[in-house]
Amino acid sequence: MDEPAYTVVSDSETTGEEKSSSAFPEIAIGIDIGTSQCSIAIWNGSQVELLKNTRNQKMMRSYVTFKDEVPSGGVSNQLSHEHEILSGAAIFNMKRLIGRVDTDPVVHASKSLPFLVQTLDIGVRPFIAALVNNVWRSTTPEEVLAIFLVELRAMAEMQLKRPIRNVVLTIPVSFSRFQLTRIERACAMAGLHVLRLMPEPTAVALLYAQQQQLIVHENMGSGSEKIALIFNMGAGYSDVALSATAGGVSQIKALAGSAIGGEDLLQNMMRHLLPDFESRFSNHGMNEIKSMGLLRVATQDAIHKLSTQTAVQIDVNLGNGSKVSKLVNREEFEEVNQKIFEKCENLIIQCLHDAKVEIDDITDVILVGGGSYIPKLRNLVKGICKKEELYNVINPLEAAVCGAALEGAVASGISDPFGNLDLLTIQVTPLGIGIRADGNNFVPIIPRNTTMPARKDLVFTTVRDNQIEALVTVYEGEGEKVEENHLLGYFKITGIPPAPKGVPEINVCIDIDASNVLRVLAGVILPGCPHPAIPVMEIRLPTVDDGHGWCAEALHRTYGSTIDLETVQKKI
Amino acid sequence: MMNKTKKLWKPFSDVVGRTLPYSTSRRFETYNPNNTSSHLSSSSQLQILNLCLPHCFSQNLIFSGKNFSSESAEKFNNSACWNCNAVPKATPFLFCECCRSVQPLHHSLDYFQIYGLDKNYEIEDENLERKYKDWQKKLHPDLVHSKSQREREYAAEQSARVIEAYRTLTNPLSRAIYILKLEGIDVNEEETVSDPELLTEIMEIREAVEDAADSKALNEILSPVQEKLIQWSNSFANAFRNQKFDEALNCTRRMTYYDRVNKEIMKKL
Repeated sequence: MDEPAYTVVSDSETTGEEKSSSAFPEIAIGIDIGTSQCSIAIWNGSQVELLKNTRNQKMMRSYVTFKDEVPSGGVSNQLSHEHEILSGAAIFNMKRLIGRVDTDPVVHASKSLPFLVQTLDIGVRPFIAALVNNVWRSTTPEEVLAIFLVELRAMAEMQLKRPIRNVVLTIPVSFSRFQLTRIERACAMAGLHVLRLMPEPTAVALLYAQQQQLIVHENMGSGSEKIALIFNMGAGYSDVALSATAGGVSQIKALAGSAIGGEDLLQNMMRHLLPDFESRFSNHGMNEIKSMGLLRVATQDAIHKLSTQTAVQIDVNLGNGSKVSKLVNREEFEEVNQKIFEKCENLIIQCLHDAKVEIDDITDVILVGGGSYIPKLRNLVKGICKKEELYNVINPLEAAVCGAALEGAVASGISDPFGNLDLLTIQVTPLGIGIRADGNNFVPIIPRNTTMPARKDLVFTTVRDNQIEALVTVYEGEGEKVEENHLLGYFKITGIPPAPKGVPEINVCIDIDASNVLRVLAGVILPGCPHPAIPVMEIRLPTVDDGHGWCAEALHRTYGSTIDLETVQKKI
Repeated sequence: MMNKTKKLWKPFSDVVGRTLPYSTSRRFETYNPNNTSSHLSSSSQLQILNLCLPHCFSQNLIFSGKNFSSESAEKFNNSACWNCNAVPKATPFLFCECCRSVQPLHHSLDYFQIYGLDKNYEIEDENLERKYKDWQKKLHPDLVHSKSQREREYAAEQSARVIEAYRTLTNPLSRAIYILKLEGIDVNEEETVSDPELLTEIMEIREAVEDAADSKALNEILSPVQEKLIQWSNSFANAFRNQKFDEALNCTRRMTYYDRVNKEIMKKL
């Protein structure tokens, strides 16, 4: 096949497949941008190596400080004290904020952070600003992330002495495709090309697969299939994956994830210590920011201590005569966060159910992320999986980035003489994808946990006689009603030949290709006619931009249910 | 009304084919190797996209009944490797062991052949998952990233077909429908059974599912349904072995009913 002679400008922000131009492919680096911490790793020719910054840190805080003219991030910046991040001038937790609209509960929960998160609650992007010289200066999560990535890239380029372009990034399972485009956008702003976006627990699964391969090689064993349950709790997200590994190939059986994490544990605990902390903080004055910063640091510190000791004394002077002085024990911490732990439990149970895996068949249970140090969580996971011990030959904070670096090497076409890169992860779709039909219902066409690449279709029909148009609104998620899901895009099918309602067959096909590009195809067929009545439509998604919550309402207001679709009922 | 409209269309997926432009390299071209300062590349910088038109879409829009017969004349792709011209050493030839390149998709190859199985309904093959992984390790698109566009397209198609074959063969009902299709018998999944006893039974199960208070109650409904599925799957095997296709068809219809309630229960669990 000839290479096309001309290229045109794309207005699509999502990145596609990388073309191979050189005989010596560049090894893509792995990046794990956590809500709280970030790390970067690369396959150095024989093993994965974590890169360190000039202060010899492998784990770098994910934040960007806006000071005077030049912003600086957690890669290069020398923190004099933790409180510097909490002065209002630094933006952090961008992974929790990226690609979310201002009606999102996660955005609302971010309002008690020291920088400004303002919402209008109408489904547009929230207003985010940092305090620079007593002025709130606006920014976006994408911009903050890009500034941070530029620092990471500069650091890696300096150490590896070559330009860095290709990256593999880990992402939370619960990220919508719209959020993925925001991550790709931030990378593009930083001059990085995303080779792959990997759900965090699948990166851990890849590392586990490599370790199991090594064991097989050493023992010359047969290498039977091993089933691993991976639970990851970071500061912003919790994810579960079940993988079946044999011979270096991991089939992901199921994924589950939610935007719950250490940040929620922290906020619940702060509320416990100072019940009116949110209202005290609502005006974001200099003094309030300072006292919230003090409370945050003290609470964080206490939570960390509660992982190793059963009680901790908290003494913090918030200024203006208010003080928090309290002895908190581990039970209290667990009770305050009971709902979070319940949600974790539900995620694991849902994942096991979707994977159709029996608990007795699980070979190893792997707990990673900052949350893996919490005794309650360790016991909970062990309890569900009926295991005495957790898999312990993996560094819980480095596992995801190591997996991403392995994937970077594999996807760059690098091979290893000892077979250490003889690896493959077969991914599944983390969320269902479907359209709005039967009123306000979400009808999934590709259910969650379908092996990729995937292609599935479903037949719909018109709701009125002589309906000549139909609106196809594509959503991603698990909710029964469309508004509980993420809007990905919409288009109208026009020119449907006039016919009684229920007669035209409107076939909607969803295709996710090998590079995770999503396309929707829609065609109309009239009974008795072998050919499509009108040309088939092919739409690449997501097409929505910021303010997509707004769009759905506008569509509803304009069209009501006049150009709706209905599923063709299966008879009993 | 709907039962009068006969299904004339083929699944859309068949119609449009898998020949979508898999690698229309749309991406940002904002990288500048000389620019290592921490300035952000402006988003308004020129972005470049390869103009790759989809393969002629219309040529795939023919509603032809596919010849599923594995005994067809072009049975095996006896052609040599497209890349190195080596003669295939093993069948099925999806991957050339000489130059390690993925071969083009041959629709004449059926799912049983892909997995090296005889065309029997009962596949007491414990190693289906292993074979699936073996194929993926050779064919998966992730592994041919640095190869030519042509081979990457082959990999996308082959890998998708191996997945589809695995999915079809591991489910007793879809395997039954598929193996009948290979015999030239099309199963209309929408066709109804006029056995009042079965219909009453299904109705009762549905009601029980709706009334079920917890997962324990659901599990109690589930196990007899799954037993019935196994029972009819065994009957199908018998009928198919003895070439009693009408009886086999009847079995698939019953399996369809139980399979549907099974799915409904699993969804609620």
